[in-house]
Order: sequence, then C-alpha cells, then structure tokens
Amino acid sequence: MTARMQPEELSGRLSQATEVCRSFLGSGDARRWEVFAKSSLTRETEVVDGRLRRTVQVEESGIGVRVWDGSRAGFAAASGLDASSARSAVSAARAGAAPGPDPMPPERLLGTTAVDPGPKMPPRGWAQHVTTELGLALSSLSGGVLRLGRAIAQEGRYGWRLCTAEDWSVEHQRTVASMLVEVLVGDRPGTWREWIHVADPESFAAEATAARIGNRALLTRHGIATDRGLHDLLLHPEVSAQLLAAISPLFLATPDDQDPLPGLLGPNGLLSAYALTLVDDRSDPAAPVVGPCDGEGLPARRTLLLEEGAPRHRVASFADARRFDETPRGGAVRLSYRDRPSTGLANLRVLTDNGMAAGQLLTASDRALYLLRTLAPVTCDLSDGTYSLIASGVWIEHQRVRGWHPVVELSGDLGALLRRIDAVGTDLSWFQTPGGFVGAPSLLIRRQPVVG
Amino acid sequence: MAALVSRYADRLRVPPGPPPPVIDLDPPQGWADWAREMAGRMAGRDAVVRYLARRAVVVRRDGWRQVTSPALVRLETSARERTALLAVWGQPRLGGWIRALVEPRPTRTWSPSPGMRCPVIFADGTAGALLHELVGHLVEGDLVASGRTPLAGLGGANLTEAAIDLIDDPGRSDLPGAFDCDDEGVPAKPVTLLRRGQLCGLLCDRETAEICDVPAGRGRRADWRHPPVPRLSNLVVPAGDVPPRSIEADLRHGLVITRFSGATVDPISSRTVLRVERGFEIKNGRRRRPLAPFELTGGVTEILAAIDPAVGNDPTPDWRLGWCVKDGLPMPTGSEAPTLMVRRLEVL
Repeated sequence: MTARMQPEELSGRLSQATEVCRSFLGSGDARRWEVFAKSSLTRETEVVDGRLRRTVQVEESGIGVRVWDGSRAGFAAASGLDASSARSAVSAARAGAAPGPDPMPPERLLGTTAVDPGPKMPPRGWAQHVTTELGLALSSLSGGVLRLGRAIAQEGRYGWRLCTAEDWSVEHQRTVASMLVEVLVGDRPGTWREWIHVADPESFAAEATAARIGNRALLTRHGIATDRGLHDLLLHPEVSAQLLAAISPLFLATPDDQDPLPGLLGPNGLLSAYALTLVDDRSDPAAPVVGPCDGEGLPARRTLLLEEGAPRHRVASFADARRFDETPRGGAVRLSYRDRPSTGLANLRVLTDNGMAAGQLLTASDRALYLLRTLAPVTCDLSDGTYSLIASGVWIEHQRVRGWHPVVELSGDLGALLRRIDAVGTDLSWFQTPGGFVGAPSLLIRRQPVVG
Repeated sequence: MAALVSRYADRLRVPPGPPPPVIDLDPPQGWADWAREMAGRMAGRDAVVRYLARRAVVVRRDGWRQVTSPALVRLETSARERTALLAVWGQPRLGGWIRALVEPRPTRTWSPSPGMRCPVIFADGTAGALLHELVGHLVEGDLVASGRTPLAGLGGANLTEAAIDLIDDPGRSDLPGAFDCDDEGVPAKPVTLLRRGQLCGLLCDRETAEICDVPAGRGRRADWRHPPVPRLSNLVVPAGDVPPRSIEADLRHGLVITRFSGATVDPISSRTVLRVERGFEIKNGRRRRPLAPFELTGGVTEILAAIDPAVGNDPTPDWRLGWCVKDGLPMPTGSEAPTLMVRRLEVL
C-alpha cells in the first residue's frame, strides 16, 4: 500500500479536495451543489502454476461535482484531487448545466448509517500465499484431479467523501478483495473458472474455498447424459445469481406506462413463489458494496423488493423517485467519481432465513437437473415475460450423479419459472453479474420443461 | 503529454525524439446534430448514441509511438428489443446498418426445434463473428501459452476442409478493431491465422510472443488501468468464388443466419453458443419463414471441421457484434467474411 492510501493521509487529501471545490463553488452562482471525491488503490496479483506472474497496482482519484443554480443543473468530473482538478470539475459542471429541476436530495433526507470500516488491506504477499494454499487444498481435496492453473487476486482500498453546500458531509473508507480462479480438471483440455468474493482477507479459508470450487468442478468429469421433459431443477447459487440479475430491472423505478412488472404477476398478484424474498441490502457488512449512505447521501438501509413473492418497493435515486412518484429510500449508486448518481441496486440478495441446507435440496428430488453454471448471460425480455437460460449441469437421480449435460437451454414464461421456485438454500454466496452484485443461494424449481 | 512527462522526469528516462503532437479528441463538427438525427430514427425507442475516440502514446526506452485508432460510433437501443451496433465513424454503410438495426422484429416467426441438427448458412457477415469465437480467441497467445485452448498444439493442422484464409488485420481502418500500432508500440501488421484451412498463426503480445516464438503485435489494453494482453483486432476472410445465392439454392432444408446477438465459447467444454437474432428457414433453396431468436451450439473443432468448401464471393463486414469481452474487459473488434455454410449444427 502506498503512503497516500494510509487512512489518515487519504482522509486529509479527500477533505482538502472537497474544501477546494467548496471555495470555487462559494464564489459562483450555484444555489445548491454537491462534491464527491474518491481515491482508490487496487492491486491485482496473477499467479500461474504457483508462480507469481505479475502484479498490477492502480491508483485512481477524482472529483465529481453536481450544481444547481435555481433553474439549471450540471454535472462534471475530473481526475485527480488537486486544485486544478477541482477547478476543472467545478467550471465544467457550471458550463454544462442545462435547464432542469434540482436533482439533489434536500438536506433533511441526508444521513448516515453506522458501518463496519472493514478489514485492513492485506499485507504484500497475501495473494501469493493464499493462492498457494488454495492450490494445495484443491489438489489434496481431489486426489490430484484438480490443479490450480491461474489465480488473479484483487485487493483494493478506497475512500470517498461526499459534501454539500449545506455543510453536510460524510466520509467512508473500506477494503475489498476477490479472486478469479482457473482450475484444470483432470486431463480435460478446458478450464473451470470461479469468481470468489473475499469478505475478510485475513480469515480466508483455503480448504473451504477449495471445497466450494471442487464440489462443482469435479461434477463435470462425469460422462455425458442428456434428457428432456418435465424435471425438477436445482440452480447452483451462481446460476441463481445470473437469473436474479436478469430480472433486477423490475425493481428499479420506471414510469408506470413502461413498467413491465404488472404483466408478469400471477393471478394472486405474486411475481414468484412464496419461497423468494429479495432485498437490496446496503447494510450487510459481508456484502460487496457497503457504505454509510447511498450515492447521494441518504442513509444506507435494506430495501424490501419482493416479500414472499409479492412486489413491495422499487429503488430510485432522489431525482427518479420524484419523477416516478416513489418514496426516496436511498436507491442511488455511484459507479465511480466519473458517474453521476443513478438509480441502481447495490447488493441484490435473497433472504435465506427459511432456507434449506444445500444438501437437503439435493435430496429433495428423486430426479433433477442440477445447473452448475451459465454459458451465456441469462436474457429476460421483461416486456413479453420470456427468458432464456443456457447452462451446463448434471443429472441427479436418487442422490447419485447420472451424467453431465454440457449445454442445456431453458426458455419460456418467466413468471411461470419464478412461481415454480419451491425452496431456497442457505448457501448464499456473492457474485459479480452484469446487473451488479447479487447474493444468491441454490434454488429448487419444480417441474420445469427441459428441451435441449 | 510533454507536461505529464516533465512532471515525472525524475522517474522516467525520457526517450529520444519529440513527443507526438497533441491530437484533438473533440467529436467532429455537427456530431451532436447527427446523433440527434440518429436518435430520432429509433422508431420511438430509447436510444444511446456514443462517439468513441481513443488516443494513446506508448513511451518506451527507445522512443515514442502514438497509437491511433479510428473513431467509433456505438448505438444502443433499449426497451422491447435490446440491440446495438458498432461501426467506424464515417463508414459509408452506417446509414444502411442503422436502418437494419431499427427494422421491426418480423412477425409470424418460426422457432426451430431444440435438438434439431441441420446445415446452417452464415450470411451477411455473420461468419466473421463465428470465426471470431472459433478461431480468433482460441489462438490468442495467453490461451495458447497456458494450453487453455482446444487449438493448442494444432499448429500446421488442417482445421477445416474449406480452403479459407483467415487474417487478423488491424490495418483495416474501416473496421472497429483497427490500430496503427498496438498498445505495446509494435507496428500493426496482418497475421494470417488460417491458410487454406490450415492453422498457421497466433496472436501475441510481447510476453507471449517470446513463449510461443512468433512475432508480437497484438498487445491491447482495455484502458490505461490494465496491462496489455493478447487480443484480436479485425478478422477478415477473403472472398471465395461462389455466389451466396447458389449456396442457398443448393440447400434442401436448413437455416440461414443474417444477424447474431452474441456468441460465447465455454472454457470447460469447448462448446460454443451462438445467439441468433435474425435469419430464415431455407426449404428447397429458398428463404421461407423468418426465424425467432434462438441459439445454436456445437463443439469448436467439430464446427470447424464441418465448414463447407463452398465460400461465398460476398465479403461483408459485421456491424452487430463489435464489443468483444474477455476476462470482463471489453474492446472493439471487427470482422468481414463472405457467406459460409456449416454442414451440421445443433439447435439448442
């Protein structure tokens, strides 16, 4: 870690950057403004066949400024935290302002939620150490069948500060870590890939991680077996996450006349079976995106999106909440300092309080297709209520694996699929998806048509 | 650039020669009006029109190299049928492609039965996207060096009985993957990957070029934050001598694909999944019912082996797929290919 990313040093730099912006903004005609300064350090360590191949360290800082002069609103961003960056961002936000309402939430809505500051950045050498441990654990667990080919450990520390014209400010610093692992399975030419969210680098458990990877990767060694007809489906958490990511736009505020949700509801007003409850959880310290507030300063909270199948709330930035007549619940995300806050889910997750252990789910059906991973992004046409899920999996009969189905496509009525979810597992894991971070467990779906 | 270098002069050994001149990154005059007009043609759908310009300089001990690539236009539509195109700014066919992009989805479509195996003709440049997945990615140096490709060790082998050449050509400035030198400062040169169906080339950055003992020149960076990795540029298949109509006319029953919406190769099973957006059923040599979106699948080496020797005389650029994502990093790539037929593919 560089000296600039020491917590006190970073805090000082962020504070200085926002104060410089404040001085520029104070001399202009902005009635309301907001400054977001962020600095991040990421270190990516690639280990191939047990040897350190390369380490890439990237430090990036910048300032994003929103202004409103009473009739026009503007946003601009500039890289760096020095005075020239502050001046560039402020002057560009003013120059680019266009007629529009005040997009920023009023001061009375701003606030914070106490959050865990998170673990420290792991020491140098952590990545190589844990990948070595993981490689040994994988080999030991599988009797040498699984071999760790390549691992990329990503460690990062970031800090940001948000302040407004009304002297409201908040600062947050956190450490994040994840791993991308490629495993060779026996003499098969291909590789098994797995992304792992590491909530706490200091307590990384190589054996448990190896078991998690091996449980799936070893299943692909079975001979090929295909089938069709009505069958129970078991979705591995990664497949569940991809499916949930595909339906996540349903939980973002939209104009009523463009909202596809009503068309997907069943006769009892449910989107899914009772087993499924979804939240956008910004307060779970184990989730990937955690902070004291959302992207524009509303306190971080857990928003109930779907309660036992019934739609409850939609998330929205303050501006979208006002446009679409929603209650502002802190639904803004900032993808980087370069992006203005926008409506988005931070951590979409399934509540598993009433879930079953994954082992129990596997034994809950005499014959099921256990989908291990998707082969292409899950697509949902929310306007006509259809979906397409292409995955590979294994057939399980009476708790025994009958064979590997390398490519299977499931498609059809999305509402019918969601309403056939019979049970959720307790094996929740976090995944990075095209729709953001999703925390998903295994899902058991009954009597699903399998055609290919 | 000079100011940036002087700021870090104590850490950098500045190479000889002056830095390249500063290049204007502003969009061309009238761009905004053009973008508004394009958005207006989107038939009432929400659309995003982007102008993408990229300039980079590679500074190495022995000198400066400016990396120049063409400005691109990206159009994305949302709502009912999410679709997109990527093309070089100023490409004369752009207007026609935009018209094709906003054409309404055909009605009374036909869905081929899952599990059906039949001949499939790849028309309107879609063969380029097919070969991008089947060959282009799988000869990238990092995969070859680590043995993580089904084509590893097949150098010199005939992958297909079709006598096609397949060239990765960054010099084709009319295609989105063009550059004049790669992001490691190596001047752009075409690399022949297949010569008359025989695997003969690899795509390497400086690091994997040493391992594979081939020339470098395909080290590309997704952005300044990422190190260069081997990536393809523009895949080009030269024209054959068969009119595409006669390829279709000789088919009793099969499918013709005119547009893809995506394609992937599964690293564990080496099977590809091709998402078909538009196409037709062919019966007795004539296009019949339009196809509903569906997927095709097959093993990489099996599909290559099943490419028919008849090669169309109609090389056509693909405009639909341009953003190629590898390890989560998107990068513009292009392709141009004539009509090709695969004798047997499976409908998913």
